[in-house]
Amino acid sequence: MDFRIEVVTKYLPMLLQGMKMTVQLTSIAVTAGTIIGLFISLLRLSRFKPLVWLARAYVDFLRGTPLLVQIFLVHYGLPRLLGTNSISPDISGSIALCINSGAYTAEIFRAGIQSIDRGQMEAARSLGMTYAQAMYYIILPQAFKRCIPPLGNEFIAMLKDSSLVSVIALRELTQSGRIMLTRSFRPIETWLTVALLYLIMTLTISQLVSYLERRFAKDDHGE
Amino acid sequence: MITVNNLVKNFNNLQVLRGISCHIKPQEVVVVIGPSGSGKSTFLRCLNQLETATSGEIIIDGVTITDPKTDLNAVRQEVGMVFQRFNLFPHMTALQNVSLAPMKVRKQSKKEAEDLAMSLLQRVGLEDKAHQYPEKLSGGQQQRVAIARALAMRPKIMLFDEPTSALDPEMVGEVLEVMKNLALEGMTMVIVSHEMGFAREVGDRVFFMDEGLIVEEGKPAQLFYNPQNPRTQAFLSKIL
Ligand SMILES: Nc1ncnc2c1ncn2[C@@H]1O[C@H](COP(=O)(O)OP(=O)(O)OP(=O)(O)O)[C@@H](O)[C@H]1O
Ligand SMILES: [Mg+2]
Repeated sequence: MDFRIEVVTKYLPMLLQGMKMTVQLTSIAVTAGTIIGLFISLLRLSRFKPLVWLARAYVDFLRGTPLLVQIFLVHYGLPRLLGTNSISPDISGSIALCINSGAYTAEIFRAGIQSIDRGQMEAARSLGMTYAQAMYYIILPQAFKRCIPPLGNEFIAMLKDSSLVSVIALRELTQSGRIMLTRSFRPIETWLTVALLYLIMTLTISQLVSYLERRFAKDDHGE
Repeated sequence: MITVNNLVKNFNNLQVLRGISCHIKPQEVVVVIGPSGSGKSTFLRCLNQLETATSGEIIIDGVTITDPKTDLNAVRQEVGMVFQRFNLFPHMTALQNVSLAPMKVRKQSKKEAEDLAMSLLQRVGLEDKAHQYPEKLSGGQQQRVAIARALAMRPKIMLFDEPTSALDPEMVGEVLEVMKNLALEGMTMVIVSHEMGFAREVGDRVFFMDEGLIVEEGKPAQLFYNPQNPRTQAFLSKIL
């Protein structure tokens, strides 16, 4: 097999540009997803039935349909809905990933919050704290800690799934790979390099997550 | 201090409290005993509305807390609760556990709340453990912190749900000692406990509950040694 390293070096700057886009896209998706997810999970656990249904519908719809379809729906459907011209892929891609990530994160938070012993909420309420105070000071700090590993997994999954927005020509890493391929006609060099760049990112994240996990585990012991 | 009229509590189809009525005077110490599943915990949890009553009326210090319009958060500030499994906040030190509610609910300054917390920890003999996290404390110590935490809201009434039954035997004494001092200082207390010695020494009255009703009540000596109801007799013969 002849692997032409000079092909890789030639297109690497372009791939790194794409990689930067992937990182940005994923960071936005996970950050917004965390906020959306926290909000949805609190609705889901609230006492108001309509809000619970709303939260469930959100989560079920987004987890029960392919992300690819959701991307199409946002990119081609949203402009129709708003009666505007087409949206730039950067925007629609980000929106689709944020909304999708929110659904998965909501489930992570819900599980985390529900894993906290009922006695914690009861102790807080018995001191006269409101539901919101008990959530904020007692339940969420404990739940967050337990959510770090699954949130890390979600981050990694989102990073890989973000490659799907290449279908709307958003120039993230996979899309940059496609462009490299059409120009170089070297599939092995192209896709191996792209794969390697994804691997570097996912490994970095999992390192970061296990570091955070260790830090928080230490906090727990009061050291 | 506490008046309960015909309190009923259902969980779905299960009737757990079937019409409880009682009156507890200020500074009185009432010990509640009864077989497992008789509704002791549920009764106690209705007294601070951790469980909402299905029907009936509970009046605490003149406030009808079963009235849906009552501000329960305000009521709960006056009614402290201590749990069987302590339920300390594991992510906070003993001091933080005790000072949190005074700060966030009573809106005291951090300094004020921590001074108060420190004096309460001193009172339960744990000032040297103020900066420890709960998991570093023994069960008895955790329960004493939990008592200090409840006291920090300066409640008028304290509820205890089997405060010593999750403890190793050698730690029961230290917790009962704290509770006894509270009683001597005049705290109104409702205690679910099967510590007979404690009930006799500290209790003013004992309620025997069975199947969701207060079947018999009386002075500790009378109820323990001369029970009138056959069900009380059967229960006491099993545990004494
Ligand atoms: N949240 C709940 N949902 C459904 N049933 C409940 C609930 N809490 C308590 N029960 C039921 O109510 C009954 C009385 O329970 P409770 O905890 O008040 O009894 P108890 O006298 O405190 O018993 P123990 O001595 O075991 O603590 C039991 O049959 C229990 O299964
Ligand atoms: Mg009980």
